[in-house]
Formats: sequence, structure tokens, C-alpha cells
Amino acid sequence: MFVSRSMVSQVITITKEASIFEAKEKMDAHAIRHLPVVDPDNRLIGIVTDRDLRSAMPYAMFKNGATAEEREQLARLTVGDIMTSNPMTIPPDYTIQDALLLIQKKRVGAFPVVDSNGYLKGILSVRDLLRAFINVLGIHEPGTLLCIEVEEKVGQLKKIVDAITEENISFGSVLVARTWDKGKRAVFPYLLTNNVARIKKKLSAMGYRLIDPMEWYIDTLPKTEK
Amino acid sequence: MKRTGYLYDDRYQDHDTGSEHPESADRLATIHANLRSAGLLDWLIPIRATRADIRWLHAVHPPHYIRRFEEVCLSGNSCFDFPDNQMCVSTYDTAFLAVGGVIETARRIMADEMDNAFCAIRPPGHHAEADLAMGFCYFNNVAIAARYLQQAHGIQRVAIIDIDVHHGNGTQHIFEDDPTVFYYSIHEHPSFSFPGSGRDFERGTGPGEGFTKNSLVLPGQGDDTYKTLIQQDLLPAMEMFKPEFILVSCGFDAHEADDMADIELSRDGYIWVMKTILQLADQYTHSRIISVLEGGYCLEWLGKLAVDHVRVLLEG
Ligand SMILES: [Zn+2]
Repeated sequence: MFVSRSMVSQVITITKEASIFEAKEKMDAHAIRHLPVVDPDNRLIGIVTDRDLRSAMPYAMFKNGATAEEREQLARLTVGDIMTSNPMTIPPDYTIQDALLLIQKKRVGAFPVVDSNGYLKGILSVRDLLRAFINVLGIHEPGTLLCIEVEEKVGQLKKIVDAITEENISFGSVLVARTWDKGKRAVFPYLLTNNVARIKKKLSAMGYRLIDPMEWYIDTLPKTEK
Repeated sequence: MKRTGYLYDDRYQDHDTGSEHPESADRLATIHANLRSAGLLDWLIPIRATRADIRWLHAVHPPHYIRRFEEVCLSGNSCFDFPDNQMCVSTYDTAFLAVGGVIETARRIMADEMDNAFCAIRPPGHHAEADLAMGFCYFNNVAIAARYLQQAHGIQRVAIIDIDVHHGNGTQHIFEDDPTVFYYSIHEHPSFSFPGSGRDFERGTGPGEGFTKNSLVLPGQGDDTYKTLIQQDLLPAMEMFKPEFILVSCGFDAHEADDMADIELSRDGYIWVMKTILQLADQYTHSRIISVLEGGYCLEWLGKLAVDHVRVLLEG
């Protein structure tokens, strides 16, 4: 669950002396929106985003490229002039959970991953986090999702997991979420099988309520911070 | 009145999935018994299972997959690729008979011996990927039949209409970049049901873009939604594609009594769906249509649904 396993390690970077056209071409060529700015030793000194470029260039130029005069005018503008210095970074030993919480809080699209000596090790974008989360949910593998309502007391999840395991069914994931009823939890096992009729019957017989799929919802985090 | 073929063979019951598996031999037994007691067998042209020529399997499945299946099966292993796929030593042979039966059916329709047919076969096929068995399926019967029609009979455009409640991931993937086979599937929304593919945004790739269409049904929905989606999605797609042959992946597991999924299609709903597909066949394919059994696990209703289905094929 460490960032170092989910980040992109072959980072496309740029130097602060480069022109903003060069930055734009690099982003377009690699279909990326964040360019870490590094010194000759690959130490991170800043980041430039497609938004920074957009604010620096007149719209028509950004869209259609530039004429010779316009180019000359802007040619003196370097990445160093428009980049964000000292951007928010994360270390490689941050977990995916750390990154998820931080990205929600800071509202940025990507974090450069930097070691304790300031060297750039990778970049982690919202895209990479989503890929990691799809893995966590297990939905890249074929399966069926159930939703079971349980009392919020010790041992419930074990009973459910045991019942499913007895049926020889493997788990893609298990999510537990709050429900609209106080004292209740919703358990979402993602089962790697087509064959769910029997386990559904069994869980009902054990006294669990299988929630109508149209009523499912996954609670969000408390919306305290802005 | 149509000349309707009926593929059935007792040997399709030899594929033994063990006790308590929903994809059981009893499924075919009840279908066959119901067709008989409804007096339909006298009206149908019987088709017997034949073993498929392996070259037609190679049109879809790579040789290494077929070999692997044979080895795992003959070694006495009780499952293949996933625990869902329970099997016995006869499974490999039965799977060949299933494919061969559908090919024989296609051959006889192309020879103008009949207009359409229902294939009551096991194991089912639409979850089978080119090189992976999934969801009780080993060989993709319908996909192989589509390739057979193209390669042996020069059919240019085949439409596969998949009305099983689950998405036919295998069929979609096999043809997703191929504009000569249109894959249409109506199924329970993949966030709620196996196998989790068949999303709205999956519409084919490369040259096949626009030749895959998925209609999603939310849990609890039934006849009305099917009518709306089929009219809105399937009919215009067929108008654009103009198929020369229609293959139906026919699953009865969208029925309200079937607890493998959460869809509430009624008996009348199934009749409406099949009649609509038959009208498409009359319109585009000189009525040529083969319906191939996929899922459907409620033994109490399966036979009745099959009787209705065959009546629609006969009456057009
Ligand atoms: Zn099915």
C-alpha cells in the first residue's frame, strides 16, 4: 500500500531554464498535465502544470501554437518564471491512504514523490490513485457484489466471511460502510463468482438482510475540512 | 409458421458439475421434458449433437487453450481456471458436442433445411474468453458459430443478441475490434452483477468501434425497461448494421423467479423480447436465426420459458 508501488517512476521532467513552449510540447507529447522541474542532479525544485502554462499564454496561442513574433515575445519566459517553487511533495513511504486523504485536502492533481535528500523518485497522480483503488475494490476481476445489513456488534463480519468461505468462494474485496440506520452497518463483499444464489439464500437463512441493490450507498467521509 | 430446428442430445447432460451447482444437467432435462409435454417435439426438426471439427474452434480459441482444457479435464481435475467452472472427465467432450451441435444447426439453416432453431446445449458459452474459462463457460459456442458462418458460408455481417441477464464478456472481447460482428447485450448493471463488464462506455475498439452495444438494466427493473432499451438501443443498431444472420445468446436468468440476478423480466416480457428479435430476423436475415442456450437456473420456470421461446420461433 505504499506510494512507491503505485507511482510512475519514469518521470518526464523539465529544467527551469527551458522555455514554456518546450514545456507545452512535452506535456502534449506525453499526454500529461504535471511536469516536475529538476536541477541537473534530479533534485526537485518546482512543478509546472498545464494550468500554469495556460495562464502564461494567451488562449489563441495555447490552442493553435504561436506566430513567430508572438513566440519571440514569450520566448524569454522560462519554466522557472511560472513554476510553483517548493510544491507539496510526498515521500515514497507514504501509503495510498495518506495520499488519498492528502489529495482530497490539498486539491492538487498530482504529487511529486521525493526522498529525504530532495531527489525526485516519481510522481503520483489522481489517475494512479484511482488505479490503486480499482485494485483494492477488486473490480478488475470478474465477480458479483452483495450488500448485507448487519448489526453493529462484534463478530458479525467473521460470520459472514466464514459463511462465504465455506461455500468455497474467493473474495475480491470486502467494504464496510455506515448505513442510514443507526447501529447498523452495510457489508459489501465482492465475490469472485457467478454463483451467488446459494450464498444469498444461506445468508438470509442466517438472519442477515440482503439489501435491495437499488438502496445501496457508500457513505462519504465526514465533510469537515474544506 | 416457420421451420424450426431443435438441437438436443442426452449427451449434453454428461457434463457433471457436481451436486448443488446451478448449471446442472437438470436444466436440460426440464427443458426437454417441458417441450415434450407441450407437444412441441412433433413440430420441431430434430438436430443431434455432432463433435465439432477443431478447426472451427481455432477460429476463436488458441490451440494452447484447447490443449490446456483437455489436459486439466482428462487429469480428473474438478475445476478449470475458476472454482465456478466445475467439471468432470466428460466435460471436454461435451463442450465439443455443444459447439459441434450449434455448427451443425448453422449448416442446416444455410442449406435451407430450416429457418431458425433453438439449441438446448451445455456447457454455455458467452462468458468464455478466447483463452480463459469463466462463469460456467468453456468454449464460446456462439462466437464460434459466428466465425463458422462467415468462413464456411461467406456471411458478411453477423449480429449476436445476448439476452442473458449477465454480460457476455467473452463474446464482446472476441469481437470488440471487429466491425463484421455486432455484439448487443442487455443485462443487469455490471456494478451489481457478474462479471462486472459490459458498461455503457464499452462500445467496441479500433475498427470495431460502434459495433458493440450494452444496454444496462438496474436491479428490480423488468418488462418496461427491456421494452424501452430494446427499442431505443437494439432496433436502431440493427437498422444501421443490417445483419445477414442473427445469433441469440439466450439466457433465461433475467426471469423474475431466477435468483442468480435481480432482474424481474416476466414470462410475457421474454415472449415480447423474442418476438421483437424474430421481427428483426424477418426484416434483415431472411428469418435466419439461431437461439443458443446460455444461463437460466430456476428449474421451476426454465421449461415453461423454453416452451414459450420455441413457440415464438415456430410461429414467428
Ligand atoms: Zn447468465
